[in-house]
Amino acid sequence: MRSSIGLIALAAVTIATAAGGQAFDEAKYPDWSGQWRRPADVGNQWDSSKPARRGQQAPLTPEYQAIYDANLKDQAEGGQGTDPTYTCIPDGMPRAMNVIFPMEIVIQPNITHIMIEYLSMLRRIYTDGRDWPENAEPSFMGYSVGRWIDEDGDGRYDALVVETRNLKGPRAFDASGIPLHADNETVVKERIYLDRADPNVLHDEVTTIDHALTRPWTVTKNYHRERSPIWLEAICAEGNQHVRIGAESYMLSADGHLMPAKKGQAPPDLRYFNQSRK
Amino acid sequence: MSDGSSTITPTTLCAAILAAQILGAQISIAQAFDDATYPDLKGQWTRITAPGQPAFDPSKPRGREQQAPLTPEYQAIFEANLADLTAGGEGLWPGYTCRPPGMPALMTAYEPMEIIVLPEVTYILIDHIHDTHRRIYTDGRDWPENLDQDIEPTFVGYSIGRWSDENGDGRYDVLDVETRHIKGPRAYDATGLPLHRDNQTVVKERIYLDGADPNILHDQITVIDHALTRPWIVTKSYRRNPNPRPDWQEYICAENNTHVHVGQENYFISADGYLMPAKRDQPPPDLRYFNQTRK
Repeated sequence: MRSSIGLIALAAVTIATAAGGQAFDEAKYPDWSGQWRRPADVGNQWDSSKPARRGQQAPLTPEYQAIYDANLKDQAEGGQGTDPTYTCIPDGMPRAMNVIFPMEIVIQPNITHIMIEYLSMLRRIYTDGRDWPENAEPSFMGYSVGRWIDEDGDGRYDALVVETRNLKGPRAFDASGIPLHADNETVVKERIYLDRADPNVLHDEVTTIDHALTRPWTVTKNYHRERSPIWLEAICAEGNQHVRIGAESYMLSADGHLMPAKKGQAPPDLRYFNQSRK
Repeated sequence: MSDGSSTITPTTLCAAILAAQILGAQISIAQAFDDATYPDLKGQWTRITAPGQPAFDPSKPRGREQQAPLTPEYQAIFEANLADLTAGGEGLWPGYTCRPPGMPALMTAYEPMEIIVLPEVTYILIDHIHDTHRRIYTDGRDWPENLDQDIEPTFVGYSIGRWSDENGDGRYDVLDVETRHIKGPRAYDATGLPLHRDNQTVVKERIYLDGADPNILHDQITVIDHALTRPWIVTKSYRRNPNPRPDWQEYICAENNTHVHVGQENYFISADGYLMPAKRDQPPPDLRYFNQTRK
């Protein structure tokens, strides 16, 4: 019998080896399938544990605190301040992880995709051991390299540690316009992991290192799982009421006319039109 | 060897391997996704088309020469659209306002395409106008009963797929897809070839690797639409980037978009930041909501 058992073991090893080249062993990776949503009681501020705007206590340098304060004043007057997304450019990193619209995470051995419904934002987190590329074009979502960690030693990965660089701007942390530095040298470090007590809660501990900050700013984002989701689209350009002309932002009225976004705002300069027409 | 229990015979060998295979198969079903069952669609796919702005049917020139089987009503709509394009307008192609092309135009792959095959779903990711996360459900589901009533239509539509092993080699080789519940407005390509505004389009696809070259992918697309006199069938092809670590670039339509849409009119933004007409003698926008006593 011993030889038979040995033979079975040998055959099993052979099959396992063959499968190793071809199959993805899901048992090694955590189950992050489904649809992830920000908790219902969480707004769109960057640090969801603190009130919005100045209540965030963002560790901004004096220069960027002044930029932020001027932005808040502009927003109070009807402007968009330093929140650039009203023109439908993507949130970029790290703001995308606010997950204003739902998120899906697809784990494969060499790559983890994060798909966020808003603007169909797509992150590729490479886990194939690569180094930073040379001469890559910067992007709003940045270039992300990740590493899986088995923190509790149970033979199964439980945390994805990610670093994101090569970002493009303009970006802000949230809709209140908390700015990132214009040099776009932001580095974002994340630790993504399931809650130990509730596997339907996902955490993303996000540390942002940026020259607009006096120190790294760490916040933890939380997401809740929907197992049977309906996926929709969030197309910013559809029904966008903002119109940008030169340095000015205007609004579209319900009846389809251009209108001021701020009190007393001058109309656009129509020098290129034949003004002899009505 | 005397009691025979450890004698290896062809029968025991087969039994042992069979047992191990069954064991392996059980582990596989429970825990692992067996890539060997599915075709290898990994990598970056770029459309194979003639240079320049691509047409919906890549085998024919753009515009009227597509010979789209439009109904007389929609042929007239297409002709009016061509006249508008000639006059400097944007016609029926919604892309200039950074709205997504939707199905089936998105399968032109205006930007490179990535395909992720999982047992329950195949994802098609095209980083164009940040619009395109297609999910093709292959988990055996039927159309949701409440699809039309309770679920918002989308530009990518709702897609159900089925894998088949047509050559019987034990490995799937074709993904058949049907897509419904699509939102508009949509056109087939930038010449403004229109789909019916009732948005009842049904798109059927056969996605498969080329029999001779595994780095060529085909998508045979059949469009059924009330603007057509018969189903319109075209085949699109894509070439795999040989670089195993391809460069994925963002395409952000809204960045530097020089089109401005006000009411029913499209204008341009000049290089020096002023509103300008898109057509000859186009009137300026109505500024009734501004305090015109200011300059």
